[in-house]
Amino acid sequence: MTEEIQKKLQKELEIFNGVQKEYHKAMAQKQQLDSQLNENKAVKEELMLLKKDAEVYKLIGPVLIKQDLEEARQNVAKRMEYINKEMKRTDDHISALENKQEALQENLNKLKNDLGKMKIKA
Amino acid sequence: MATISAAPAPGMQQIDLSKLNLHQLAQLKQQLDQELNVFQDSLQTLKIAQGKFVESGESVEKITPQTKGKTVLVPLTGSMYVPGTIIDTDNVIIDIGTGYYAQKDIDGGKDYFKRKVEFVTEQMEKIQALAVEKSKAREAICMMLEMKLQAQSQAQKPSTS
Repeated sequence: MTEEIQKKLQKELEIFNGVQKEYHKAMAQKQQLDSQLNENKAVKEELMLLKKDAEVYKLIGPVLIKQDLEEARQNVAKRMEYINKEMKRTDDHISALENKQEALQENLNKLKNDLGKMKIKA
Repeated sequence: MATISAAPAPGMQQIDLSKLNLHQLAQLKQQLDQELNVFQDSLQTLKIAQGKFVESGESVEKITPQTKGKTVLVPLTGSMYVPGTIIDTDNVIIDIGTGYYAQKDIDGGKDYFKRKVEFVTEQMEKIQALAVEKSKAREAICMMLEMKLQAQSQAQKPSTS
C-alpha cells in the first residue's frame, strides 16, 4: 500500500514539475510580449509625432526601404493589436496553469499526508 | 511546527513579519534578493541605453551647416572605413525601433534624443525608488530573522518546536 502511494506521489510530482516548467515558459513569453508591446508603443508615438511629409524607412534585411507614413502607422497599430491578442491568450494560459498547479499541489499534499500516516502506522 | 496554514504570504505589503516562521522569512528574503537583482540588472541595461542616447544626441550636435561637404570616414564594417562626404546637413535618419527609421531635421533629432534620455532617466528613477523600498523590506526581514534565531537559541534547547 505504501509503495502504491509512493508511486502515485512520484507520478504526481512529475506532472507537477511539468506544469511548473510550462508555467515558467508562459511567463517568459508574457514578458517578451510585454517588451514588444512597449517598443511598438514607443514607435507608434514617434510616428504620430512625425510631420505628414516626413520620410519613413523600414529596415528589411540590410537595406532601408522607403515607406508611406500612413502605411507605417497602420502597420504598427495592426502589430500592436496582434500582440495584445497574443498577450490575452498567454494570460489565460497562465491563469489556467496557475489553477492546475494549485490543484496538483493540493493533491500532492494529500498524498504526502497519507504517506506520512501510513508510515506512522507501520 | 504547526504552520502549514495559508500560503506563505506571496503578495504585497502588510504582512506581519513577526508572525512568519524562520523558513518563511528565509524564503521571503530570498525572493526579495532575487527581485533586487532584477532591478540591478534593469538599471544596468537602462544606463547603457541612456549612454547610447546621450552619445547619439551629441553626434547630432556635431552636424551643422558648416560641416557640409566635409569628408568623414564611413564604417563599412567594424574595422574597415571608406571616405565619404557629408552632403545633407539638414536631416538625419533615426532608428525609432522595430525596424522603422524616420527622417528628421537636426532639431527634430536633438529633440528625439533629449526625449529618449528623459524617458530612460524617468524609468531609472522609478526602479530606483522601488529598489529602495524593497531593500528596506529586506532589512526588516533580516532583522526579524536574527531576532527569531536569537530567541530560538535562547529558548531551552531540548524542546524543539
